[in-house]
Amino acid sequence: MLSIPGQQGRFCDSLSRREFIRIGGAAMLGLSLPGFLALEAQAAGGPKPSGKGGFGGAKSVILLYLQGGPSHIDIWDPKPDAPANVRGEFKPIKTNVPGIWLSEVMPLLAQQMDKATLIRSVSYTPNGLFNHTAAMYQMLTGEQADRVSPSGQLEPPSPADYPNLGCHIAKFRPPDVPMLPFVMLPRPLQESNVIGKAGTAGFLGKAYDPYYLYPPGDDMDQTKMDHIKLDDFTLRAEISKARLERRANLRKVIDDGMPELEKAISNYALDEYYEKALGLILSGRVRKALDLNEEPAKVRDRYGRHTFGQAALLARRLIEAGTRFVQVNWPSVANGDPTKTAWDTHAANFGPLKNLHCPKLDSALSALLEDLHQRGMLKDTLVLAIGEFGRSPRLGVSTSGNGNAPDGRDHWPYCYTGLIAGGGIPGGRIYGKSDATGSSPVENPVHPTDILATIYHTLGISPDTIIYNHLNQPRELVKGKVIAGLFS
Amino acid sequence: MNLPAPFRRLALPLLAALIACLAGSAPSRAEEVAPKKPPLPKVLSLSVQPATLTLDNLRDARSVIITGHTQAGYDIDLSPRAKIQPASGMVRIGKDGYIYPVKAGKTSLIVTAAGQRATVPVTVKSVANPPISFVREVMPILSKSGCNAGTCHGSAKGKNGFKLSLRGYDPDYDYHALIADVSGRRFNRADASQSLMLLKPTGTVPHRGGVLFTVGSPYYNILKRWIVEGVRSDTAKVKRVVRLEVLPAVPHVTLPGMTQKTLVIAHYPDGTTRDVTREAVLTSSLPEVAAVAPDGTITAARRGEAALLVRYEGTYATNGITVLGDRTGYKWVKAPDFNYIDALVDKKLQKIRALPAGLCDDATYLRRVSIDLTGLPPTPEQVRAFLADRTPTQQKRAKLVDKLIGSPEFVERWTNKWADLLDANSKYLGESGVRKFRAWIRSSVAANKPYDRFVREMLTATGDAYENPAANYLRVVHDTSTATESITQLFLGVRFSCAKCHDHPFERWTQNQYYQLGAFFAQVGYKSGDAQGDEVVFNKGEGEVTHPRTGKVVAPQVPVGHLARTASLADRRAAFAQWLTAPDNPYFSRAMVNRLWSYFLGRGIIDPVDDIRASNPPSNPELLEALNQDFVSHGFDLRHMMRVIVLSRAYQSSIKTNKWNEDDKANFSHFIPRRLEAEQLLDAINLATGTRSKFEGLPSGARAAQLPDAVSGGEGFLDLFGRPARETPCECERSSAVSLGQALNLINGPTVTDAIHSPEGRVAQLVKTVPSDSKLVEEIFLAALSRLPTAREMNTALQTIKQAGSRADGAQDLMWALINSPAFLFNR
Repeated sequence: MLSIPGQQGRFCDSLSRREFIRIGGAAMLGLSLPGFLALEAQAAGGPKPSGKGGFGGAKSVILLYLQGGPSHIDIWDPKPDAPANVRGEFKPIKTNVPGIWLSEVMPLLAQQMDKATLIRSVSYTPNGLFNHTAAMYQMLTGEQADRVSPSGQLEPPSPADYPNLGCHIAKFRPPDVPMLPFVMLPRPLQESNVIGKAGTAGFLGKAYDPYYLYPPGDDMDQTKMDHIKLDDFTLRAEISKARLERRANLRKVIDDGMPELEKAISNYALDEYYEKALGLILSGRVRKALDLNEEPAKVRDRYGRHTFGQAALLARRLIEAGTRFVQVNWPSVANGDPTKTAWDTHAANFGPLKNLHCPKLDSALSALLEDLHQRGMLKDTLVLAIGEFGRSPRLGVSTSGNGNAPDGRDHWPYCYTGLIAGGGIPGGRIYGKSDATGSSPVENPVHPTDILATIYHTLGISPDTIIYNHLNQPRELVKGKVIAGLFS
Repeated sequence: MNLPAPFRRLALPLLAALIACLAGSAPSRAEEVAPKKPPLPKVLSLSVQPATLTLDNLRDARSVIITGHTQAGYDIDLSPRAKIQPASGMVRIGKDGYIYPVKAGKTSLIVTAAGQRATVPVTVKSVANPPISFVREVMPILSKSGCNAGTCHGSAKGKNGFKLSLRGYDPDYDYHALIADVSGRRFNRADASQSLMLLKPTGTVPHRGGVLFTVGSPYYNILKRWIVEGVRSDTAKVKRVVRLEVLPAVPHVTLPGMTQKTLVIAHYPDGTTRDVTREAVLTSSLPEVAAVAPDGTITAARRGEAALLVRYEGTYATNGITVLGDRTGYKWVKAPDFNYIDALVDKKLQKIRALPAGLCDDATYLRRVSIDLTGLPPTPEQVRAFLADRTPTQQKRAKLVDKLIGSPEFVERWTNKWADLLDANSKYLGESGVRKFRAWIRSSVAANKPYDRFVREMLTATGDAYENPAANYLRVVHDTSTATESITQLFLGVRFSCAKCHDHPFERWTQNQYYQLGAFFAQVGYKSGDAQGDEVVFNKGEGEVTHPRTGKVVAPQVPVGHLARTASLADRRAAFAQWLTAPDNPYFSRAMVNRLWSYFLGRGIIDPVDDIRASNPPSNPELLEALNQDFVSHGFDLRHMMRVIVLSRAYQSSIKTNKWNEDDKANFSHFIPRRLEAEQLLDAINLATGTRSKFEGLPSGARAAQLPDAVSGGEGFLDLFGRPARETPCECERSSAVSLGQALNLINGPTVTDAIHSPEGRVAQLVKTVPSDSKLVEEIFLAALSRLPTAREMNTALQTIKQAGSRADGAQDLMWALINSPAFLFNR
């Protein structure tokens, strides 16, 4: 039984502890899971429609997570007037919004800039070494990794981890229809042999883990999205839909013969889950959503016939089918290998960016914005494209302790860019400003936790909500502040 | 829920909505439905607590509780309706109902209520008005107003640039935090009312934490006067509280709607007392049972038990509250005691006016106890044999338990359980290390090694971890803070981890004690062994722990009791292990019996089992004591305890509730079903379907419980069903929750479907070899649910087989339906 003693009175967010304790206790009363979630949702601020300053303006989120850390100067924040060892090889190009320039490697996105806002002042200072894992943990959970592991880095996922933001969202805002709440694809987050850190529900429990949709195949296999395994969702040849329905019916008849047991386990919400799961399988909703062959070839081409493009398209299909949160991880990771499509360009920054990575990002991101807009989905779908950091403005210097080739850029969390669009955020804007060399923000610095707070806010979840970890200790949902300027 | 199917969909949202209203999503609604006060019964006499009052100075205000003794034989709180009059002008009654001194001397109070009368002698020692005390008067306001709560300024990084110690555990820190203010605005000595310390909490300037008290309120006046008097600290000289007394010892709130006034009296070393009710922080563990207002008034809401938790100046007290509710018609019916457990469970059930459930039937008991003891359900042959055995029930069950305890299946199950708790994980030990550690655990379980010895061997082990595998545990808890936190949580059932950064918020454990404990492990040395991946654990004979706040070396010291006289600190681990495993350690053996109990009854007597603290009291202290004595007097014999527990009537109870126990969750009046653990579930699927999962590195025919590590095997199934990652000592690491992914997997995933459809499996074999349909149905029921079908189930199943495309299809469908039924998925 939940029995946390504490002060009577209010939290800093003005909800009383008593209300929280009661809500926590309700789970033990045999309250059904959906009812419990509804209560939680109320505690989190209520599913109110778009209210003040974008609160509740979004229904769902697509996070294009650019693991590896793309170079902000070479993609989003060109610095044509900076010295050559900073500005690099690419030239700026005009976009469809006067005054906003992008790098020449993003020509398709340039035609969709009216739909998006570039946050050019994302900035934080890591604790200790700033490797990918610690930085991804900061980006996606809002917490510093040293709060869960002594070294702050290279620790595999643990049940004590802070949850990925999508897990909180899946918990506070379960889907409106029977659907997978949170899908992560097409490969895990990774650095060296640490896989999946910052991509789990951690202390919320496995029930809130994302559904991991990782098709088999090598990172460089650009057709892997055609090999999605649908075991759980596809009826086997020998079991027809009618037969599964018969089975489910038989199960129900047998269970109805054991009313005492049904009563004794009602707090597990087993029947609700079975109903949902059967609905998912029998309706074919997930299977249908995951079937890219249903898309016209023209659309698939527009997103790009590569893993990232097809994954972004699948994200749209999942959101359409009712999924709340989709995280598309950049499909390949490698420590500075210029032949791999990976953002971690410690060496050979320019060639691979121009020929390998950026064309994929450009086609996928621009297609997603255009497609969501045309379907009327952009207004309540929040899109965010961001990595765990940008890259060092100066070429060939070491800022993270890694070795860097003369044409490489190192990790740079002190100032970089994220793209945000939809969900009530007007497009065609720049928020924040970096200095002449893209080294530090000069206007409106934005901490990664501010971005998380903003996402929760657009989904109608108060960032001040108090959550409880596995040891029942109260924790803040996120420490950041909503970026009000994005909405006005 | 026992409703016809069409109503069920309707009932759930209704129920949810109903509970939502009751559970406080709308507090005003909760007040509307709050039960009315019961009528006043006839009162024969009054008593007053405290019986006498002594007022020390002008600000020493006191209050009293007036209890009425009724004709019906019970007590009620008459404080709100009592009239109190001073016999003379030496004291006065304030607007707040408190008694304030006016003039030094002796007088009395005349109390009248419900037609009865009592007097209270009062002594006013002095009417001096001493300066405001920071520790006694200012600090409590910060606590009571929530300023230093973990979610406000008490958070690790403070709030909005201002940080206080969590819940005020460190008055010195807080004093310096308050006065060390760069802008100088926190205190305005020229005009105290313009001090930020007053402007913020009154909301005069914007305050994210809201308005905590108003201008001119008592709290305001104390803080203001403290500022006027020059913001002085008395942390060095003021005497600290030695004990909190909560009055009355037993709150009289038997019926919903009844209220009880509570007083909190602080006792000081010099024998003086203070009424600190208004300064103490009072909380109820279950406000939906009994709520407590900031002034100490308890209001009963519904039947149930709650704990009143009182916190003041780092001292804690707990009081049990029992709201019996209307139990008209309740009559105790005695059932036979199978052992001492039942008498003690019954005693508690009588106290809360509940009746125990009946016994479960033989087939249920066989399945239940087989799963709990061996991790496996019985085979169809075992079910048939057990049901056919005509030995009297209790003898038969005892015989069964004796056969199961110590069986090879039992050894695998408990080896797996210990491997979980001890974090036997290749991440820490390497593959070879984890196998060797598991083999050591296995041999300990097989030999029924006494629990104290088992733990001592691990904590004192030295040498090559491949040759002395007990040393692997120290490799798992590789640094002093992991060792401190894991060992205390696992073996003492106490969560010391809170104390790493601050004093434990609800317990007496301090940050100092955390580092004193750590010092016992500061001299553990590790070096590479001969084999690859091997390590040697040794005592370095040097190494210290420094306190992060003071930077000083902390000497090893135990948090309760003391080290044995004979203990030498030359081997710190040995000294610690001796203290830890001593029979009189108040935590060690209790934590273990409580854990064991929870494994069989689904819930600890203290729950969660690894969060033992004064503010998380046992639901049945006498039972815990009796189990503990039994455990210690039987030389920490785990098998003995298991036997006693599973042969108790409490364990043999049915899940079927009655009118008098259906709301009971904590007193073991009926059995509480639990979802099968991940390994149990996979093994049970294999057993039911006559198939075997293949586990890499294990011989064919091995079961999931034999997997040495928690990272491999089961192709995702085990992880999906909550197998623990073996990274923390928390029992919570193993999840028994149900999720959408699990339902998808059981309905349509490869594990169940392949097993049911396997051509070598049980279903295919039965279809081939059993010509009679009803016999086929019987066999499938025995294999899946460890019982025979009821007549109704038989009919349904026969129909299914007839209507299916083929006999095999029908048999598969039946097996599918049974495996997906809660009767299979749960231990019940």
